[in-house]
Amino acid sequence: MQRKIISGFVGILIALLIGAFIMLFQGYDPIETYGALFNYSLFGLYPLATTLRNSVPLILTGLSASVAFASGPVNLGQPGQLLMGALFATVGGLYLDLPAFLLIPVLLLLSMLGGALWSGVAAMLRKWFNMDEFITTLMLNMIADFFTYWAISYPIFDQTAYSPMTPQINQKGWLPIWGEFNSNVIVMVLAFIAIYFVFNRLTAGYEWRITGQNSLFARLGGIKIDKNYVTVMLVTGALAGLAGGLVLMAGPHRFLKGLGANYAWDGVMIAVVANNGLFGTLLYGLFFSAIQTGSLGMELITAVPKEFIQVLQAVTVLVIVAGRGYLDIFLDKTIAKRKARERSA
Amino acid sequence: MNIFTGLIKGMISGATPILLAALGGAFTFYAGIFNIAMEGMMLGGAFFAVLGSYYFNSWLMGILCAILGSLLMAGIFIFFAVTLKTDEFVTGIALNLFALGATTYMLRQIFNVKGAFSSPDIVPIPRLQIPLINKIPVLGEIISGQNILVYVTILAVLISAFFIFKTRFGLRLRAAGYNAPSLDSSGVPSAKIRIWSLIICGILCGLAGAFLSLGYVTLFSENMSAGRGWISLAAVILVNGNPWGIALISLIFGFTDGLGLLLQQYMPSQFTSMVPYVATLVALYFYSIQERKRKA
Repeated sequence: MQRKIISGFVGILIALLIGAFIMLFQGYDPIETYGALFNYSLFGLYPLATTLRNSVPLILTGLSASVAFASGPVNLGQPGQLLMGALFATVGGLYLDLPAFLLIPVLLLLSMLGGALWSGVAAMLRKWFNMDEFITTLMLNMIADFFTYWAISYPIFDQTAYSPMTPQINQKGWLPIWGEFNSNVIVMVLAFIAIYFVFNRLTAGYEWRITGQNSLFARLGGIKIDKNYVTVMLVTGALAGLAGGLVLMAGPHRFLKGLGANYAWDGVMIAVVANNGLFGTLLYGLFFSAIQTGSLGMELITAVPKEFIQVLQAVTVLVIVAGRGYLDIFLDKTIAKRKARERSA
Repeated sequence: MNIFTGLIKGMISGATPILLAALGGAFTFYAGIFNIAMEGMMLGGAFFAVLGSYYFNSWLMGILCAILGSLLMAGIFIFFAVTLKTDEFVTGIALNLFALGATTYMLRQIFNVKGAFSSPDIVPIPRLQIPLINKIPVLGEIISGQNILVYVTILAVLISAFFIFKTRFGLRLRAAGYNAPSLDSSGVPSAKIRIWSLIICGILCGLAGAFLSLGYVTLFSENMSAGRGWISLAAVILVNGNPWGIALISLIFGFTDGLGLLLQQYMPSQFTSMVPYVATLVALYFYSIQERKRKA
């Protein structure tokens, strides 16, 4: 655990240094830029609340990818599952009229259903036809992208709008906002606790983890691999779908083009950096959200465009993942040397 | 007849970028690299193609820059996946996102635009009119007058097939994927072969990118590779890397691309845009059925 924190910090520092060199190379002041970046994401109530709110889709899609990768299935369908989740929540929010305390949970469940349905398609293709989910989920992403684009252009199109978008969903389905604090964070924390509990404390989670580590051992131990595979796909799809529902209900309250942004791919990256650890996903999700949130302020104060953050993110991922093994060797050596010295003394 | 030639032409221009990238993927496939970075390499190539063509006012420089840009991406992949031995899957995903971020960033930095950049100063890759053949009705229209890169692609298929199956390099390439330790112990470092396969993949993906931004259209837009790298990966997996199979599969995908354009008259464009991706799923379905029969 300690080692993971060290490797994370060292990796982030090196990545920030590389970023600083890129900025220097282009004639920007790195200290001023990073100052603005973190000033607008961490220091103060409003920046912090915004960072928290923006971290929700990143962390949920990250959890989806983490749980999937750690359990075996290479579910890369988070972008599509997120969009389908958001679409289901939108349809529910447009046509259902319930009191708020009922409508919000119903919409959240609908979004999870949408995501699970879409990952379920990939799971069934694998189960029935043995088609690799790695490629099917990627293709389903593109199909979901076009399908939702069609849905918001024709059947549930807002007649008064000029670009493809749906009307606003029922106001009772909006997530409450207290001051600066958006309650989508609460839903995310609940989802995190639930998936953490299932993954680390329940038999089902144990079976998933064992299957992910060694599927042959798991099968010989009497674990029903096929059944678990489908469950994991459905659960991770539901997590990604929930992310979509929360984006919709906390933010624009309507489905507009580009709603999914790059959340899901960022989530996959977060899972990869966190080495599929759930707590790591949470922490890296917060970090990624912080630099994304601060990027707007950075663009405002300095001349560095906010797209720079996308480069910084990819550099961070590569540095941390590549450095992980080397840092381990280095730490092991240092510890061994210290022990040897103690023994000789 | 007009619809027919239109469909064939659509098929060829749709198939070209996928075929080029998939040929690159075939080299890395035989070398035993799980290379999912074709998407990023193609995108990098497409951006640098526009950059080169715009600044040098020459399509040849555009292609050259595309290859260099794509090689840059391949270089990053080599550095992390081969030299530092980072997980190939992770490197690929990070590289694809790096390419997306970097091209968007440079689009903003260099051209000062968001979304897409087009300008009359970008010189597109010309079409090649073959004398005599272009006089033949119907057939002439198809064989002659294609983009130069289309002919390059046909050559690339022949050369790739020759290289992989008939030369010493090809033998070593296949050995690197089949049994790397025995290749190492026979005195040929497999890492070196892998690096070469990635360089070849970079060059071919660069050409694919150049075709996207200087042939298919004459502009660069954010994320313009739009999943073609993934489709080419699917093509490589479907035929186990065989260049002839890749050519066939790419033509089928290209056909669905052209078909989608044709169908636009009858249904919303969002559905017709889905066609190549659905076709990939259908192809995977047939592949798995065949695989099951082979095992039984």
